[in-house]
Amino acid sequence: MKKLIVEVCVCTQCVLNGAMDIIESIESLQKLKVQLRLNAQIQVVTTTTLGEGKHTCAAPVVAINGEIIEHADSETVMSKIVALTTKDVKC
Amino acid sequence: MLMRGVFTPVTYIRRQVFAEVARLAYSDEDPAAIEEIPYRIITGEVPLYRDSVFKERAIVGERVRLACGLGLREMDKPVPISKGVEECAKPEKYYEPPLVNVIPFACNACEEKSYFVTDNCRGCFAHPCIAVCPVKAVSMVNGRSVIDKSKCVKCGRCAEACPYNAIVKYDRPCAEACGVNAIESDHLGRAKINYDKCVSCGQCIVACPFSAIADKSQIFQLIKAIKSGQEVIAAIAPAFVGQFGPSATPAKVKAALKQLGFADMVEVALGADIGAVEEAHHFIDSVPEKQAFLATSCCPSWSVLAKQHFPELAGCVSTALTPMVATARIIKKEHPTARVVFIGPCSSKKLEASRRTVRSDVDFVITFEELMGMFAARGVEFAELAGEAPEDASASGRGYAVAGGVADAIVSCIHDLYPGREVNVDRAEGLANCKKMLTLAKAGKRNGYLLEGMACPGGCVGGAGTILPINKAMISVKQFQEQAGIQIATKNPKAQETAE
Repeated sequence: MKKLIVEVCVCTQCVLNGAMDIIESIESLQKLKVQLRLNAQIQVVTTTTLGEGKHTCAAPVVAINGEIIEHADSETVMSKIVALTTKDVKC
Repeated sequence: MLMRGVFTPVTYIRRQVFAEVARLAYSDEDPAAIEEIPYRIITGEVPLYRDSVFKERAIVGERVRLACGLGLREMDKPVPISKGVEECAKPEKYYEPPLVNVIPFACNACEEKSYFVTDNCRGCFAHPCIAVCPVKAVSMVNGRSVIDKSKCVKCGRCAEACPYNAIVKYDRPCAEACGVNAIESDHLGRAKINYDKCVSCGQCIVACPFSAIADKSQIFQLIKAIKSGQEVIAAIAPAFVGQFGPSATPAKVKAALKQLGFADMVEVALGADIGAVEEAHHFIDSVPEKQAFLATSCCPSWSVLAKQHFPELAGCVSTALTPMVATARIIKKEHPTARVVFIGPCSSKKLEASRRTVRSDVDFVITFEELMGMFAARGVEFAELAGEAPEDASASGRGYAVAGGVADAIVSCIHDLYPGREVNVDRAEGLANCKKMLTLAKAGKRNGYLLEGMACPGGCVGGAGTILPINKAMISVKQFQEQAGIQIATKNPKAQETAE
């Protein structure tokens, strides 16, 4: 099973702007493994070194497979993860 | 509970207000600059949340006033946001009741509790909704079930009987969250708090999806006190662990507070240890001979509920000092001129600290969320800090943060001090459940018990002023409990020293 690494910044600005709730939403995807047909293990890594400088304007910041998302929210992060981890269904 | 652990625009605005008010308090700008804060939080000309940016800014303006400790403006009078701000920009507590406020024009005037028929109704042949209604309030109109609200007694039978789940119970989120039925309506149908019933648990604040309820904060004055050079010591509630993110270990929180200008940080779990030992002795000495049961007293909303709604049971509520007050007194004994700030998860501690008997012990009360605003305003980064972990309390004192933890701590003290004694325990979380438990106690069904009440679901980690999702906060508290060098309160030398 492949692994998808989701890095979530937990600097002060990012936590103030909901980083912990984003982590919660990413972890909640595991409970929907069947419905979402997930074929990868999602690993959340907390960090404080994503992107450049302080996240005063960009918080919260998340990186999925190295791709940085600024002003991240739960719905964007979850949909990107699902798009990357859902099994292709052949008709 | 529904919105807890979900970051919404309501959360965003609430926290931005704290961060901006803290930033202003730290700066040397004229306090009248609070007029600018709504423009910093609500930018541009296009409304994002409500029907116009002007309304959005006006509501943020009210929240800014409350965050400064000021009262709401009368909206039919020409009053600027900054009215009164000069008087409140002082290095001492500025508080005028009421603590919890509904911002009337932010309120959506949601309908009061009712049952209504949704589009799921198929107008079925059986229509059991009609047959089960005891007051003939349900009828079929144009092939669909209709409830006559003037007749409906809100028993919910129709909803239970519908095979399509087409009938739903609906309540205003604020009223649903309130365990003491303190939410009423004003003449325009907007929520209005009955302050005779309200016990300031703050759950309505985090339940309102229209961001219409807020409590007053003391961060503005606290920051002024720190800036004036006073010795300010933080007494931090046991629920603090993990609240500021995974980088913010207890050691780093202590270091971060020092960076904000606090002289020191003490765990309130120390006061919990002292209280647990005292309540263990009290339980053995008095229950059931002198009093039917012993109710814990550390959660002020719960103890006020017990005393106000069940006055005949008031004598059964513990008289031990709450962990906040016990800790504050220890600090003041060692540092008589210091200002004590209780940093906790909830609103009701703000009210407890305003009581005549507590006023001199606790100078300020702020929540974790408000403190996070201060950290953000000062650019404090936990990853860059280092320090020593606090070691003030036992594992059981640290467990006070989670529902069940208070009773566990007292029971383990009883087992240690009076081996062989069995203790019956009942506990409730959420004020509605607390009320049910007290009703049983009133009926004599909890005689000989130790009763633990927690106003917030999950315990203090579920308080209205928290940041971390509740399940995560419980795990963090547990981990910090495991790190404690001392397991039970009776073995905590710091607590014993004070008790003596």
